[in-house]
Amino acid sequence: METSTIQKLENLLLVSVPRDLMDDEVLRLRRQVVREIRKYHSRWVMLDFSAVDICDSFFGRFIQSTADMVGLMGADVIVSGLQDAVVETMIELGMTLENIRAVLDLDDALALSRTVQRTEMYTQGMKALNGHDIDWDNGWDALDMDSLHRDTHAIAEV
Amino acid sequence: MDLERLLPVRQSVTSVMDVVKVRRQGLEMALELGFPTPEATKIAVVISELGRNIVLYTKGGLINLIAYTGERKGIKIIAQDQGPGIDNVEQVLEGGYTSSNGMGLGISGSRRIMDEFEVKSVAGVGTKITGVKWLR
Repeated sequence: METSTIQKLENLLLVSVPRDLMDDEVLRLRRQVVREIRKYHSRWVMLDFSAVDICDSFFGRFIQSTADMVGLMGADVIVSGLQDAVVETMIELGMTLENIRAVLDLDDALALSRTVQRTEMYTQGMKALNGHDIDWDNGWDALDMDSLHRDTHAIAEV
Repeated sequence: MDLERLLPVRQSVTSVMDVVKVRRQGLEMALELGFPTPEATKIAVVISELGRNIVLYTKGGLINLIAYTGERKGIKIIAQDQGPGIDNVEQVLEGGYTSSNGMGLGISGSRRIMDEFEVKSVAGVGTKITGVKWLR
């Protein structure tokens, strides 16, 4: 029986899902994922399904419940590496998964996480900027550049 | 490939381990019969769904897989148990109904996948589900 492995990459947790997942392994894997999110402050959990060739509704339930738990930790699930035959079977079986993004491979997962991170930093940056009461009539002179630098620096470290 | 050598599979099912074993045997049987991978995968998933129901709701059961190797090729799945029976077969076949925390897709999804599908269930006696998928 293969065991799953979890690795950290940037703000992603990479979880390689074993081919035949037993019930107790599901519990263990989900708990481990939640623990590692806290440990690494991960923003994304990528479930790599490339080893899985049979995905029944139990497996679908595992994906959904993991995504729900991960969501409560402030992170999101990305599913990757679903085989063609698995995708076809999931759809014909009538499986629908909510709040889950899917990508083809690790490259796409990284691209997605980096894009979203940049967008979030930009949004936070704008909020910080707006927090400083800027007197536009007097231009940038009125802006406390020191505190702005401090704030943007802090954001960049998040 | 000498299809005559495809022996029927008879697997007693009491644990998820048994389910994993029999669905893999079904996958291999389907591939040997000439089913393309997506179709063989669907057959394996049907076996898995029926097997999981046996593990979830009964003390144990039996799954038989029979290969049709003649002019018309196909695979027959028979899942039977001596469990409590399904008291609302129609509702279960419609889908979306579950008495556990499942997705309620097992039986209804399996029916969609198979060409022939029959559920016989008697309360207190047991359930027998038969499904056939033909190679096209």
